[in-house]
Amino acid sequence: MTLNNDALIKKDRLRFTKNKLSANLTLLAIVFDALYFVSIYKSDVGTYFYNWLIGVSIVYNLLFMLAAFLCEEGVKGYKMGYSYVLILLGLGQLVRILIIPMQAKNAEVAIGGENVVAMDNVQFIYVSVCLIASAALCIIAGIVGIIKTSTLRSYEAELEKRNRSGGKS
Amino acid sequence: MSDLRLQHLDKIYDNKVQAVYDFNLDVRNGELIVLVGPSGCGKSTTLRMVAGLEDISAGNLIIDGRDVTQMPPKDRDIAMVFQNYALYGHMTIYENMAFSLMLRKENKNEIHQKVLAAAEILDLTSQLNKKPNQLSGGQRQRVAMGRAIVRTPKVFLFDEPLSNLDAKLRSATRREILLLHKRLKATMLYVTHDQTEALTLADRIVCMSMGHVQQVGTPLELYDTPANLFVASFIGLPPMNMFDVEIKNGQAICEDFAVDLSAEEKAMLSRYEGRTVVMGVRPENAVEGGNITVNVFSNENLGQTTLVNGNVGKHRITCKFRDWCNYKAGDEVKVSFNKMHFFDKDTTDAIRL
Repeated sequence: MTLNNDALIKKDRLRFTKNKLSANLTLLAIVFDALYFVSIYKSDVGTYFYNWLIGVSIVYNLLFMLAAFLCEEGVKGYKMGYSYVLILLGLGQLVRILIIPMQAKNAEVAIGGENVVAMDNVQFIYVSVCLIASAALCIIAGIVGIIKTSTLRSYEAELEKRNRSGGKS
Repeated sequence: MSDLRLQHLDKIYDNKVQAVYDFNLDVRNGELIVLVGPSGCGKSTTLRMVAGLEDISAGNLIIDGRDVTQMPPKDRDIAMVFQNYALYGHMTIYENMAFSLMLRKENKNEIHQKVLAAAEILDLTSQLNKKPNQLSGGQRQRVAMGRAIVRTPKVFLFDEPLSNLDAKLRSATRREILLLHKRLKATMLYVTHDQTEALTLADRIVCMSMGHVQQVGTPLELYDTPANLFVASFIGLPPMNMFDVEIKNGQAICEDFAVDLSAEEKAMLSRYEGRTVVMGVRPENAVEGGNITVNVFSNENLGQTTLVNGNVGKHRITCKFRDWCNYKAGDEVKVSFNKMHFFDKDTTDAIRL
């Protein structure tokens, strides 16, 4: 098989290489998620949300990491469904900003008879940036996955068609 | 592709053991040289010195006119194919073949084209997305060759690449290597202990023993005119039959038989009159009919040929007859020799005119 066109070679390469870009972006999204989660309860947010929300946030975080990791493996192998799941996970990360960080920001909580700020601005910005980064990375990984997978599918269909017509293009 | 010159190469290990003595060889551009010899004869050590995996204790290694004796392996532009394939198990075949080029940070599109071209040559295109453990031994060895091909090195080195394959696959892969050599016109250095591989593949053979080069020549030269007893006994399957004979009155006289010498042989052995020399007879040069009686003790039918093992007096002899024979243990068969080789008993060198 002789390929002369650069764009064609790039497409043909997809048949033998993994979607490492999406996979690596997803792994980075997991890292940002972990950075968010290890710092979200470092101040008095835990006291402020001393209710069922703590448990739910822990369970969701575990589910996110697991799902993101599965998607990382899926998009690596050009599986279209996992790209969509990644976009949904990215949107979910954006929603998470509205739940704990937004509510805890500058909220006051009584500790030992004294009112203290549950989450100051610095922490709010930090956790928000982590979630936004994680969300953006998931969404970009998903979009890249969709583009590459569609390109590969259409190229494979083209090859199949060409093979059926006896290699004449 | 390039010329390769090995000049006075020695290999002495730290424990003072010398593995290679004064190895000299000029490999011409596009030539396939096979180093052959028994285990421990220094052939792999020589190959590893060329690859840069072993230090050269003395001598020079010149590739394409450039002295690379002290150069690290990565700068020698040499590709080596190992007996155990040395493939990365977690990578696909495509990735295995592309890996060395990726390390060099070559253009990805160019890498892709090189890998596809090599895969096509080796008939591996349909296997590119598989992992090595999904392939047969022969296919894995082809992948190892493909990994070498994509680099378009100056010299290819093969270190017993077929030893892990079964007999049928070995023969098929041997043919593929030969075709590959013809197609690439590459300079290749090939190590094996299997003389069949050596005879079928080589443009020239280097026969080694105990770290010394015994003979360098074409397969036919080594088979037809072995330089000494070692080469004579090592090349050829089954090995050459050897008899101590006394040269007397135009005859080679053994305890159990006598053979008349031709005029040429008489001239060649004239200075050995009355002395004992070693006479070698290849099994295929012992033909049915004659005055030498062989007491058969086994008969091995190989299809087109038959190996008859027996005794001539107290000497063991193997004869290779062209036809299907059915001799039984205890049978007597008369044979004669249509070609003989003579060697000096003291120096073990071949006796020539």
